[in-house]
Amino acid sequence: MTDGWNIVVCVKQVPDADDVSIDPETGRLNRSDAEAVMNAPDYNAVEAALELRDEVGGTVTALSMGPPNADAVLRVAVGMGADDGVLLSDPAFGGSDTWPTSLALARAAEELDADVVFGGEETTDSSTGQVPPGIAAHNGWAQLTYVEELESRPEEDKLVAKRDVEGGYERVAAELPVVVAMGFGENDPRPAGLHRKIYAETDFEPETWTAEDLGIEDEVGLAVSPTQVGGMDTADPVPREQEVVDETDELAEQIAEVL
Amino acid sequence: MAATSDTSADIEEHEDVWVFVEQHDGEVANVTWELLSKGRDLADERGENLVALVMGENIDETDIPEQCIARGADKVLIADDPVFEPYRSDPYGEQFRHLVETHKPAIALIGGTHTGRDFAGRVAVPTHAGLTADCTELEMEDGRYEMRRPAFGGDALATIICPEHRPQMSTVRPGVFPAAEPDADRDGEIEEVEVVVDEADTMTEVLEREVGDVADITDADVVVAGGMGAEGDFEPLWELADLLDGEVAATRDAVEEGWIEPARQVGQTGKTVRPKLYIAAGISGAIQHLEGMDDSETVIAINTDPNAPIFDNADYGIVGDLHEVIPELIEYFQENEEAIPA
Ligand SMILES: Cc1cc2nc3c(=O)[nH]c(=O)nc-3n(C[C@H](O)[C@H](O)[C@H](O)COP(=O)(O)OP(=O)(O)OC[C@H]3O[C@@H](n4cnc5c(N)ncnc54)[C@H](O)[C@@H]3O)c2cc1C
Ligand SMILES: Cc1cc2nc3c(=O)[nH]c(=O)nc-3n(C[C@H](O)[C@H](O)[C@H](O)COP(=O)(O)OP(=O)(O)OC[C@H]3O[C@@H](n4cnc5c(N)ncnc54)[C@H](O)[C@@H]3O)c2cc1C
Repeated sequence: MTDGWNIVVCVKQVPDADDVSIDPETGRLNRSDAEAVMNAPDYNAVEAALELRDEVGGTVTALSMGPPNADAVLRVAVGMGADDGVLLSDPAFGGSDTWPTSLALARAAEELDADVVFGGEETTDSSTGQVPPGIAAHNGWAQLTYVEELESRPEEDKLVAKRDVEGGYERVAAELPVVVAMGFGENDPRPAGLHRKIYAETDFEPETWTAEDLGIEDEVGLAVSPTQVGGMDTADPVPREQEVVDETDELAEQIAEVL
Repeated sequence: MAATSDTSADIEEHEDVWVFVEQHDGEVANVTWELLSKGRDLADERGENLVALVMGENIDETDIPEQCIARGADKVLIADDPVFEPYRSDPYGEQFRHLVETHKPAIALIGGTHTGRDFAGRVAVPTHAGLTADCTELEMEDGRYEMRRPAFGGDALATIICPEHRPQMSTVRPGVFPAAEPDADRDGEIEEVEVVVDEADTMTEVLEREVGDVADITDADVVVAGGMGAEGDFEPLWELADLLDGEVAATRDAVEEGWIEPARQVGQTGKTVRPKLYIAAGISGAIQHLEGMDDSETVIAINTDPNAPIFDNADYGIVGDLHEVIPELIEYFQENEEAIPA
């Protein structure tokens, strides 16, 4: 592969975690007016994708499934340096759980002839972390999750990852194509360059693909999703004394009481 | 391409509660025992068997199957082959798919560790299973399996159901459910299953594995936790924890700084702890952190910022520098040893 790798990076639009709050008066979840932003761990995915491109050559295409205004997160990725962006948007996708979501992304990755697909560790809204392994499984590709570092071996068509595992780490070599879920915070995402940012926000227009374009119109959406959200409750804040003391000795006495 | 076996047509045929036994080199991850204990309750309520699934190499040279039975399993399925050591998603995924197709479980419980989540996400797809992440409550309600899980960083609790697909799979983070004590008198059946995976078909190779002792902070009565406010120096926290016979824990940010090992991370993507006493020092109180410690009996906060959210989530707090307050606490308890139960 002399012309480098086709790198795809999946980015998701989520409500800004800092804006999602519990109303102290009503105890209700406040997220309606939360700003839509790119999922924080996806910055690490984009950075890793760009670093890999710098190493092996090729292109980085940002990929997102979401409503039409989710093009904003593709613009963030393009501003950081991604070459292109594709939006999967279709009312048919509505209500998809991780099974059809990863199917749609998997089909798009195939369509883009991906060698490596990047994703974040998990999202800040539904935080399942199931989408990257799901993409790999749908396509029958290798997967590398909780990745701390990558080493490319273009001559062997392989990618080697250092993965975080309980109590230590492991190094795993995977054949291409491979899906990589970067660990959150494992690299320093680059800021958008000024010119690139202006391009991303003005001239750049992502392509939009529908479920039919991907040939999966009967395999996505709420109806085929194995899981359903049966109800949502606000998590009750645990009642606490909230007493602030002035002296360490007072604090020590409270601790002694508990012991 | 992985074929899809849609099981929605034959829900009735699916029965039993499965637990994925996470083991590395014969060492079983603690979360497995927690799941067997929860799985036992579910199986009893459903009038079904609890089945432990072990994949690995030379399992017969370990006491893992017997331990699974002592911890509640009615049956242990063993897939024994060098291809299963160490864990890799592709051979584990293929084998699991085969077992689901041949044995048809109704429910499968998997630990929410990195290995467990890597496995669960992979295997749910070819079996077209419903997979619910990070469950904190698993209940049978009027014959229906209901999985509850935090969402939006813990601000909301969602109830997830899986009406038309089997198995209904759930991952559970370590520390969420208590582990039951083993009962050596329990009886159970052990079955070796056919291995359907071949090394030649794998797409990955583990080049190196460096794993040390994994600290377990989930059973401690006292947890002294530090965050970015520790500024790289956890020494006073270790000293206080030692004095109070507790464990040291940390926020994700402190772990990422390399100040402390990842196994001690508390929160959404770490451990869940519910000690009698949780001391949060230099921790702001982000929702993802609170999720892992909010069930602690008493929470103490030490923070220089009087507006830090941790104070709203603490019983007692002090505005101050942890590098002054903690040494003072240590001094207090050294002088008042009788305050510490033997
Ligand atoms: C309250 C609530 C709870 C839910 N619980 C579950 C559940 O337990 N099981 C389940 O199957 N579904 C669940 N869902 C549905 C699930 O949120 C959607 O399928 C979601 O779009 C993808 O899951 P995620 O956000 O958890 O992704 P994760 O798997 O956490 O995302 C990991 C990475 O995958 C990529 N990615 C994920 N989604 C997209 C996307 N739309 N576009 C581009 N890249 C993406 C990103 O790189 C991201 O960093 C739930 C939904 C809600 C509202
Ligand atoms: C997907 C995702 C998953 C996450 N999972 C987790 C998780 O599992 N666990 C987790 O903890 N976080 C998690 N986080 C990160 C979380 O959002 C916060 O960033 C993190 O908890 C903050 O850590 P901290 O309190 O140590 O640092 P900060 O927020 O920086 O707070 C440091 C605090 O120390 C105080 N301080 C400073 N100096 C001193 C001093 N000398 N003495 C006393 N106090 C001092 C400051 O006032 C401040 O309140 C996750 C985030 C994401 C996006």
